[in-house]
Amino acid sequence: MKTKWFSVVCCMIFVVLLSVGCGQNDNGNAQPDASGSSDDQTTVFDDSASDVNGEISFDGEELSILVSAGWMDNRYDTIIERFEDTYDVTVDLQTIPADQYFDILQSKLDTGTNADIFWIQSNPFAIETTIVRPEEYCLDFTGAEWKDIMYEARKASCVHDGKLYGLQIWHNSPEYVMLYNKTVFDELGLEIPTTYDELKEVCETISAEGMTPWFIPGADGWQHQLAFFQIGGVYEANMPGLYDQLNINKATFAGNETMLTVLQQFKELSDLGYFGEDWIGSDSTNASNDFGDRNIVMAMANSSYIKQIKEETGTTDEFGLFLLPLADNNSFPTNPAGPTMFGYKGTSHPELVKAFFDFVTTTESLQELLDNSPSYTNLDVNDPNLEQHWLPEEEVFMSGVKQSQMVTPVLQTGTKYTNDYWMDFGADMVAYCLDQMEANEVLENMDRNRAESAEITGDPNWN
Amino acid sequence: MNKNKIYPQWYIVGPLVLYVMFFLFPSLLGVLYSFTDWSSRSGINGISFVGLENYIEIFTSNRDYASGIVNTLKFTLISNGIKLTVGLFLAILLQEGVFGKGLYRTVFYLPSILPFVIIGLVFKSVFNYNTGLLNTMFETLQLDFMKQKWLSDLNIVWKSIYGVDAWRGIGYVMTIFLAGLNAIPRTYYEAAVIDGANFWQKLFKVTLPMMTGSIMINLVFGITYGLKVFDIIYVLTNGGPGRETEVLTTYVFQLYSRGQYGLATAMNAILLIITAVIGIAVVKFMSKQEVQQ
Repeated sequence: MKTKWFSVVCCMIFVVLLSVGCGQNDNGNAQPDASGSSDDQTTVFDDSASDVNGEISFDGEELSILVSAGWMDNRYDTIIERFEDTYDVTVDLQTIPADQYFDILQSKLDTGTNADIFWIQSNPFAIETTIVRPEEYCLDFTGAEWKDIMYEARKASCVHDGKLYGLQIWHNSPEYVMLYNKTVFDELGLEIPTTYDELKEVCETISAEGMTPWFIPGADGWQHQLAFFQIGGVYEANMPGLYDQLNINKATFAGNETMLTVLQQFKELSDLGYFGEDWIGSDSTNASNDFGDRNIVMAMANSSYIKQIKEETGTTDEFGLFLLPLADNNSFPTNPAGPTMFGYKGTSHPELVKAFFDFVTTTESLQELLDNSPSYTNLDVNDPNLEQHWLPEEEVFMSGVKQSQMVTPVLQTGTKYTNDYWMDFGADMVAYCLDQMEANEVLENMDRNRAESAEITGDPNWN
Repeated sequence: MNKNKIYPQWYIVGPLVLYVMFFLFPSLLGVLYSFTDWSSRSGINGISFVGLENYIEIFTSNRDYASGIVNTLKFTLISNGIKLTVGLFLAILLQEGVFGKGLYRTVFYLPSILPFVIIGLVFKSVFNYNTGLLNTMFETLQLDFMKQKWLSDLNIVWKSIYGVDAWRGIGYVMTIFLAGLNAIPRTYYEAAVIDGANFWQKLFKVTLPMMTGSIMINLVFGITYGLKVFDIIYVLTNGGPGRETEVLTTYVFQLYSRGQYGLATAMNAILLIITAVIGIAVVKFMSKQEVQQ
């Protein structure tokens, strides 16, 4: 009889504990409701809510940040250390490999377990699509002091329905153009290629010298697609109005002659071995050393990478930049998008999140950010007190680019729902290069993915 | 006499409630949702019944989800084949009087205590074509012809995955087999020796029939593991190169991440059905074998 009662009591305690356990959220984050409303917290900030003078105490709290590798890296370390010291808090920086970041972020958002601050590759369309869903997931920063630190072009990636949700601090250097070893080019008597045929000839000459002509780190999962998307200007030039048509579902990727040509040319270079012996299995970890050792001669990179190569390898070679001439492209990859920081609406300490955004946008922090970023030569922010570090190579390159070449934004930023499927497109490109798919199937998949995304978003042009 | 030692049946209520609440109910709900267009926007757009649309999409889509199913079954079959064969061989070897067998058992078992994510990251580095340990070793030994694109060659990538999976799992399988081997009375072997049985006859007439239990455990665990495989593939190849190593779970993860929950649950339902059918078939078959003996 005693045993029976003991069992009954144990069962009751177990059920009570279970109920208590289920009622709590381990990371202390309250899941936002689907309607986007939040009853127990203020998510709209104004200047009067400032806590810089220590009016609000955050002692012992932990601020978690979810970010993809490459977006914060070590450049934020000093800022984070000062932030921790200033507010006596701990910052938990969760850096996720780039090829897994989007999936993990989306899962965390969907399950209400996201970090206090999260990053996304935002653009004026991305903020409206399924990725961010600002009303549901993001803290509203409208009225924050730092709103004017961003130029209008960048602010467009952070504002939705007139409300400010994100902070984009990125550089304004030529992004992912062709970076080349000028000294090697001079020694081999090579000229900068302006057409695909010239590019192929250049690759052939370099390859014959035992060097990798155009290094592509396929294992990174996100870099090889740049060759297709960064030359959006050529697609628009060959079919005027294409971007607008794509955005209202009146045109498709599939069947686009220029896009097919670019994929075919990319594959041809891959088949000829001009991307390296194993570009699909290679990552960019050792790329700067390979540049310094002259193992590789060209790569798609930011202009600031020149500085990094020189600093890391001590090479005396000179480097330069040119526009990627696939499909005889001569357009500049204009891209106002960039990694953008958002506050998670479900955070249990929104004031601390706000404090972090305030802290990052001070001139002192911005200068630290720039000085600690070997890959940045400037920050595209509206702060006259900031000391920029433009490179001579950037100035030379930009002086040769006409305004008319900069009109069309890159494909992933200029068209809706495209950037959401960056990784899928990359996987399909690899499959195409391995003869597992046809070029047009790669494009068809992008159309299908965009349609699904549009359908989920409720875009009237697709419904 | 033993009445007090037999616990009343209502004791099962607690576990049953938990099982129903946390497994059966969500599983059935998942199957139900697989017939809907549930997505990340359903909070706004609502959820509609779409019949078999999700299942039709899986088997007819150009995205080749079906290849994910085939790859999953292939992985289950081959990975278990390797692990069971080698695991059994090692168990027999280490049950005999091999010098230092305790050390070997520990060494073989050690990889199985490591998380797959860590193993995946380490082997990703080992397999790197230009800087990886494996190719560097071959270069140093002047065996350049052995260099491979371990994770990017369509003909090699699956072998690399099987290799890593076997490296991690063989010790575990071996340990279960060792427990089974130790339970076989020595007298059976002595009798077999007196009858003039050789090694193979002892293996097939005594050892294997007496190990049905441990084989069944390994098979059931191995099959359920194989059908649910995710982490090792996600970390090593992320389904690549291209779509070559996509399995059911990597597709489910992608679909879920995109907010296509209806389609993702349909794939999960397929996984559940395959796992249940194969699992039950194996248990029934092996139980029959055991009873016959």
